[in-house]
Amino acid sequence: MTYIARLGIWDYNLRNSEKNGGHMRHLYLSLMPEALIASMLSPEEFGNYYAVGAEHTTQGQAVFFEVDPAFRHADIPIETALARCVPHADGQPKHTVYASVYRVLERVPLTAIGTLYLVTKDGRTLGVQRGAEKADSSEGLHLYHELAPVRPLVVSRLGPEPFFRLLCGGSDTPLSIPAITFVELRLGDLATDPLNGSLGDLPYDNTSHLRSCLEQVKSKEVAAKVVDRLHPGTFSYRTIKNGIFIGNKAEGLAAYMLPSMGTLKETNHLWWKSATI
Amino acid sequence: MNSDLWLYIGIGCGLGSIAAALVYYRWVFRQEPGTEKAVQIASWIKDGASTYLRMLYRALIAVAVVLVVVLGVIFSGDPERPLHGVYTAAAFGFGALCSALAGWLGMSIAVKANVRTATACGRSLGQGFNVAFKAGAVMGLAMVGVAVFGMSLLYLIFHDAEIVLGFSFGASSLALLAKAGGGIYTKTADIAADLTGKVELGIPEDDPRNPAVIADNVGDNVGDVAGMGADIFDSYVAATVASMLLGTSFAAAGSIGMQYAILPLILCIVGIVSALIGLQFVKVGPDGKPGKALNFGTVFSCVVFCVLATILFVVVNALAGETVFNYGALIATVSGLVISVIIGFTTDYFTNDEYRPVRNVAEISASGTGLTIITGFSYGLISIAPALIGIVIATLASYFSAQAFGLPGIYGVGIAAVGMLSLTGIVVSNDAYGPIVDNAKGIAEMSGMSHEVVDTADVLDSAGNTAKAITKGFSISAAALTVLAMYAAYSEVIVKYSGGNFLMNLQDPIVLSGIFLGCIVPPLFSALTMLAVTRNAFTMIEEIRRQFKAKPGILAGTELPDYSRCVGIASSGALRALVFPALLAVVLPLLVGFILGPTALGGFLGGAIFTGVVFALLMSNAGGLWDNAKKYIEAGNCGGPGSEAHKAAVVGDTVGDPFKDTAGPSLNTLITVMSLVSSLFAPLIAQYHLFG
Repeated sequence: MTYIARLGIWDYNLRNSEKNGGHMRHLYLSLMPEALIASMLSPEEFGNYYAVGAEHTTQGQAVFFEVDPAFRHADIPIETALARCVPHADGQPKHTVYASVYRVLERVPLTAIGTLYLVTKDGRTLGVQRGAEKADSSEGLHLYHELAPVRPLVVSRLGPEPFFRLLCGGSDTPLSIPAITFVELRLGDLATDPLNGSLGDLPYDNTSHLRSCLEQVKSKEVAAKVVDRLHPGTFSYRTIKNGIFIGNKAEGLAAYMLPSMGTLKETNHLWWKSATI
Repeated sequence: MNSDLWLYIGIGCGLGSIAAALVYYRWVFRQEPGTEKAVQIASWIKDGASTYLRMLYRALIAVAVVLVVVLGVIFSGDPERPLHGVYTAAAFGFGALCSALAGWLGMSIAVKANVRTATACGRSLGQGFNVAFKAGAVMGLAMVGVAVFGMSLLYLIFHDAEIVLGFSFGASSLALLAKAGGGIYTKTADIAADLTGKVELGIPEDDPRNPAVIADNVGDNVGDVAGMGADIFDSYVAATVASMLLGTSFAAAGSIGMQYAILPLILCIVGIVSALIGLQFVKVGPDGKPGKALNFGTVFSCVVFCVLATILFVVVNALAGETVFNYGALIATVSGLVISVIIGFTTDYFTNDEYRPVRNVAEISASGTGLTIITGFSYGLISIAPALIGIVIATLASYFSAQAFGLPGIYGVGIAAVGMLSLTGIVVSNDAYGPIVDNAKGIAEMSGMSHEVVDTADVLDSAGNTAKAITKGFSISAAALTVLAMYAAYSEVIVKYSGGNFLMNLQDPIVLSGIFLGCIVPPLFSALTMLAVTRNAFTMIEEIRRQFKAKPGILAGTELPDYSRCVGIASSGALRALVFPALLAVVLPLLVGFILGPTALGGFLGGAIFTGVVFALLMSNAGGLWDNAKKYIEAGNCGGPGSEAHKAAVVGDTVGDPFKDTAGPSLNTLITVMSLVSSLFAPLIAQYHLFG
């Protein structure tokens, strides 16, 4: 049996007076891939590490939520992970200890989920607070990139809230899932004129297929259509229409609304530069 | 009017131009340098550029000393002119020194102006433009000043155009090394910085975390300021000297008066005055369009030159009461000048994103890299046509207008080249402006200046890119016309020393062999310089990866990269890679001349000139087109950054980089150096050769 007293950011072993810490231990819910991770790094440090790696061989874009350190779940060995999350022998903080890499999203309640962090490929981190405002459900077509638990690219006639209800709403549909995170991406002119609208600065692949899917959703009685079953996990931040959404059956939908790119250029210039490269 | 008086005026005008450059230099130097961080970054760029220039000049001194001795020994064998070798060698050394001086002065102010431009951008776009343009004018005025001073002084002392030819050879030899070396340097750093920074790690351009970022900024200076400056300097001097040689030859034969030997120098003087006047009117208007201001300066100087040249001809003839300067020469001058401006703007058509070629390449890039390359390359090939047609028109117009007024037609062609290059002062000012604002933008980004400052610098930078493309078209066309005049000068020297006719028959296998051998050189030279870029870029990429791995704090922004390692790789790699291509330019014409004879060398020069011009136009324009297609997509078109079109355009741009900034523009200098070597050694080749 261990006798650990936790004082602020320090852990004291009451038997041998050994001291660990000097670093706060955090819990992060990563979406790329879906995982719950314990770390001694602050969100900005974690974002940098998670994007570029310890030896700076590229790892790529990262999106994660900060989770309440007090959060515990019976199916996730969080205590074990935290116990392993101690400094290295040379005093360096532990970067990551994976607590779970499977069905994490459905087990973390919205109440435990804090700030969202969007990390660029080169490690710049932007924190986004949960917004009070509801997602835009205006008319027109929508493009959703589901981030977890699976990652299809979907077009829909539904705004974010009804789209969420379609997927997490009830148990009477075979599509129903317990929780979801998705991002709405910009469609520009394609939202109203799928076949002839200008692509402008939208960097999507296989645009003829995308146009065709949008046209089908527009003209047929289907609420949504999958554009790409196995869409790559990453997406360009500059294509975010309004924000990133997270929700589950029990608590509903929460929105993390992103300021416009123009505002971000003013307020978070370095992140904006890396995000728009 | 006494010929010597014109030479004194030339010396005075050259010194006046240098003095004006120094006044601008002082004005720029007195501008606010900015924050401590900006000054620190600028000092890294300055140190990198100085290190490279020191290494380059050290190598050049060694080459120059060898060539001075060789020239001194070889040309001292004529008992009628025992000191000819010494004079030629001295002129060669003086030419190399002048070219180096102009390059150093331009570089020296460019690395001071970059940070001052960035700081001035914080006040207004107009002030930023003013600092950058005046700094560019230092280079432009210093270059034409040094050239006219040097040529006038030498001609005043020796009254022998062949000695001035040594001056031109010195300037061109240095220019070849400076241009090709600068081109290899700048693209090594640019490609390595982009491939590892942007593509591999997603680091934005001009980000201080990239270990190659300083080398990249240094490259802008050594490639586009010192290199491009040296390139135009050598065309300017070569065109003038070629016409002086033609004038001397025809005067000796009695077909024209001796005043035509110095007319090219007089036109250079008019060009300096026009540039000084034109520079005063280059200002950004209330519409805030710097590109318009730069173009206005060029066109305005062109008009001023035409007016002043006409006044000169009319007044001199009126004062003398007879035709001192034939109006055929005036028409030839003006035709060269007008065609140069037209060629410059047709180049703009193929490289500016406001027109179809660039937009087509951008749009087609969405279908993959293959189509990007094929389409861009095809437009590059098409772009050769208007420039060559322009050269043909200038050649024919100048030839026949001169002939119609009783002057030798070929002298008119030479004078047309001088007319074309009379705008050198303002063109070089525009050209040097480009890398200064490019650096300014980089410094603003790296030192964390506000995004408004960066945006302002970006507007200035876009205008610089267009000016750069126009300059390349101008310099290639000018070089083409120059070498045609030089070719004629070569023929005249051969006739003079062989005592017979110089006819090249295309049915003669010796001539055909020469043509084919000449055709080999431009592609071979291009390949060697581009392979040097890829080899050096590969080494630099490995170094960048090593630094990221060894210093984990670099990407986190807590540790500084070792910028000097990349600067060192670019510098030493560029200089090492220069040796063989430079030898090609000097040794091959001599081998062909002394072995196969003067007619084969004539064919060799023809082959090299024609393929050289075609390759130079193709590579410069295709490269510029790919670059701007990428920028057009990055501006939010065809899917914008990160799209499939953008990925394809990035590959196109990477292929185009050494096309447009290393091989393409170096070919002008290559063909000029080969023509000069041939003309310089023509007296010996005419007497000593194995065949032909």
